[in-house]
Amino acid sequence: MTEQGSKYDQLFYPYLFEGEKTSREAVIDQVRHSTLEKCHEIVALRQQLFQDAGELIIAAGQAMARAFASGATLFAFGNGGSTTDAQDLVTELIHPPYAHWRPLPAVALTNDIAVITAIGNDVGFASIFTRQLIALGQPGDIAVGISTSGNSTNILQAIEQAKKQGLLTVALSGYDGGKIAHSPATDFCITAPSDHIPRIQEAQASAYHALLAIIQALLAAP
Amino acid sequence: MAVDLPAILGARLAQSTTIPETFFTAQAGQIAEACWSMARRFHQGGRLLAFGNGSWATDAQHVSVEFVHPVIVGKRALPALALTNDSATLSGMLFDTAREEGAFARQIGVLARPQDIAMGFSPDGNCANVNAALRKARHTGLLTLGLCGGMGGIMASHVRPEGAVDLPAANEQAFLDYCFVVPSTDPLTIQETHETLYHVLWELVHVFFEHEGVLR
Repeated sequence: MTEQGSKYDQLFYPYLFEGEKTSREAVIDQVRHSTLEKCHEIVALRQQLFQDAGELIIAAGQAMARAFASGATLFAFGNGGSTTDAQDLVTELIHPPYAHWRPLPAVALTNDIAVITAIGNDVGFASIFTRQLIALGQPGDIAVGISTSGNSTNILQAIEQAKKQGLLTVALSGYDGGKIAHSPATDFCITAPSDHIPRIQEAQASAYHALLAIIQALLAAP
Repeated sequence: MAVDLPAILGARLAQSTTIPETFFTAQAGQIAEACWSMARRFHQGGRLLAFGNGSWATDAQHVSVEFVHPVIVGKRALPALALTNDSATLSGMLFDTAREEGAFARQIGVLARPQDIAMGFSPDGNCANVNAALRKARHTGLLTLGLCGGMGGIMASHVRPEGAVDLPAANEQAFLDYCFVVPSTDPLTIQETHETLYHVLWELVHVFFEHEGVLR
C-alpha cells in the first residue's frame, strides 16, 4: 500500500514525507522528537500562564475561599475533555488528594446522563448546564465553566445564568479567552494563551490545581 | 496570619514544569514505542479500554474521548471506552462482595477482545483493582499500559522483559507491556503529567496510523 498522510500530518510532520524516511525506526525517531517538543510546549505555556495570570488565580482563589467559608457549593461544567477536568476538580474538592485538605461541597453538572439527555432532547444542548443551575444553584454558590475556546454556547449561557442567580462565576479558557473572557457575567477568567487544545487543557489542569491549593491554604488559616 | 499565596502558586508551578521535563526527557523513546504498539492494535481492529480510580477515572474518560472524537479536525475516530462511565455496573459490582475480583477486571473479562489495548492508571502503581484488571487483560492477550507515579510500585516491577515482542505465556508475573512512572509523589503533579502523556500518545498514534506500512 502506498503510504499516505493526511493534510494535517503533511503540515505538521513534513519530515515524514521526505525521501525514504518511512521505515519504522525513522517514524519512531520523529515521534520521539515530537514528544519532546510537546513537553517543551506545555512547560512554556504553564510558565506563561502563571506569569500572566498569577494574580488573577490568587484573586479567584480568595473569592472562592470566601464563598466556601460561607457555605457555598461549587458547580463545574465543560464539554468533551473539559467535562473530565470539571469532574476532576469536583472529586478533588469532595475527596481531596491530601489528608490535610478539608472536603468541600461540589457537583459536576455532567455526571447525570439522564438530566443531560433530558434537557438536550427537550430544550437543546445549549441549555444542558443552564437548566441544572436554575434547579441547583443558590446565591453565594460558585460556578466554574471550563472551555478551551471560551466560546462554547452552553458554557457561556450557564455562566450568564449563574451570574443572574448571584453565584460567583469563574471561567477557564484558552486561545485569546474568547467571548467568556469579555462577558460581564464572568467574575474571573483564567486564560491559557495557546491555540492547541491538548496543551490548553493541561495548563488549565495546573491552574485549577493551583486554585485548590490556594483555597485550602486560606481555609486552613486561622 | 497572612498566607503566602504567591509562594503556594510558585510551588505548584515548579512541580508542574520540572516533573514533566524530567519525565518526558527520560521516556520519549518508550513513548514512541508505545504509540507504535497502540497504533498496531488499532490497525488490527483493537479498542482502547481505560480505567482508574478517583481523579484518574476522569483521565480514563478523557483519553477515551480524545480517541473517539478527535479535537483535531480530520483525524479519524478510533474506538475507545472508559470503564468508569457505567455507574450502574460499578456500584453493582462494588455491592457484590461475594467475588473478590474488582469491577475493572470483571468488566475486562466481559468486554475485552484479545486485540484490544488496556490502559490502567494508578498514582503509586499499587491500586489492586487496576492491577488485577491489567493482569486479566494481559492474560487475555491485550496490549497493556500502566500509567503511575512515585516509585512505580507493583506496576514497575511487573513489566515485560526488555526486548520481548510478545510476552511469553510462561512469564505469568509480568503483566505490563509498557509502564510509565512519573517521578513524583505529588498526586496533582502525577495527574497533570499523565494528562500530557495520554495526549501525546493520542496525538502521535495518528502519525503511525497515517503510515500503515510500518504497522504490519
